[in-house]
Amino acid sequence: MLLIRAIVRPEKKDEVLAGLSSAGFNAATMVDVVGRGKQKGIKIGGMVYDEIPKTLILMVIPEDAKDKVIQMILSIAKTGNEGTFGDGKIFVSPVDEVYTISKGTPGL
Amino acid sequence: MKEIMAIVRMKKTGATKKALIAAGVAGFTAVKVLGRGNLVTDPGAIEECKEKLLSMGLDEFTEAGDTEKLVTSFLDGSRFFPRRLFTILAHDDDVPRIIGAITSANRTEYGIGDGTIFVMPVADAVRVRTGEAGEAAIW
Repeated sequence: MLLIRAIVRPEKKDEVLAGLSSAGFNAATMVDVVGRGKQKGIKIGGMVYDEIPKTLILMVIPEDAKDKVIQMILSIAKTGNEGTFGDGKIFVSPVDEVYTISKGTPGL
Repeated sequence: MKEIMAIVRMKKTGATKKALIAAGVAGFTAVKVLGRGNLVTDPGAIEECKEKLLSMGLDEFTEAGDTEKLVTSFLDGSRFFPRRLFTILAHDDDVPRIIGAITSANRTEYGIGDGTIFVMPVADAVRVRTGEAGEAAIW
């Protein structure tokens, strides 16, 4: 099992989640977050905005689905052909165990 | 050292906190999140749930069509529901006990939507107050 943490633009989240749902990955959790990246925020005039709103999508998926999910998020969350600063990031971390509370058994 | 991420119903926040104290774990972090789960494949469970929700939603002010539309959108799996995400850091030995406590506090008769628990490895932890690292920083 792998935990996918994807930070995407808030205006792209519906599109990303709809795409993942149609590919069979319906389960997801999302949180509104603020953050900045390598570019140290956005500078507009004299003001620097370093708390840019983003949406954090959390998903736990089987290991063999990793490439599919990542490619899907990458292709949908990108803006323009080349991509733009601020499109977000994807982090992947291992998950040892998963339990579904309503069933009370291990597994997704 | 493990990180336990538990997604539970908003209503069960208090019960989960009590269960964690009973299991000997006081520290946790909680965030309000929106989430949805796997699609329910059993049509019987959906039908039963739909009847229950329809009977709750009907009164003299709402039209039957509106209620049905709303209830259907609740059950088709595409809607996000508010949930509470607990993050708990634990020693390896305590993980089964904590999972048991969260599971028994959060199970309901509905059979769906009670949440999920994820257990992940943690590379290191540091307590800011004392600077101690590793297992000593957990509790």
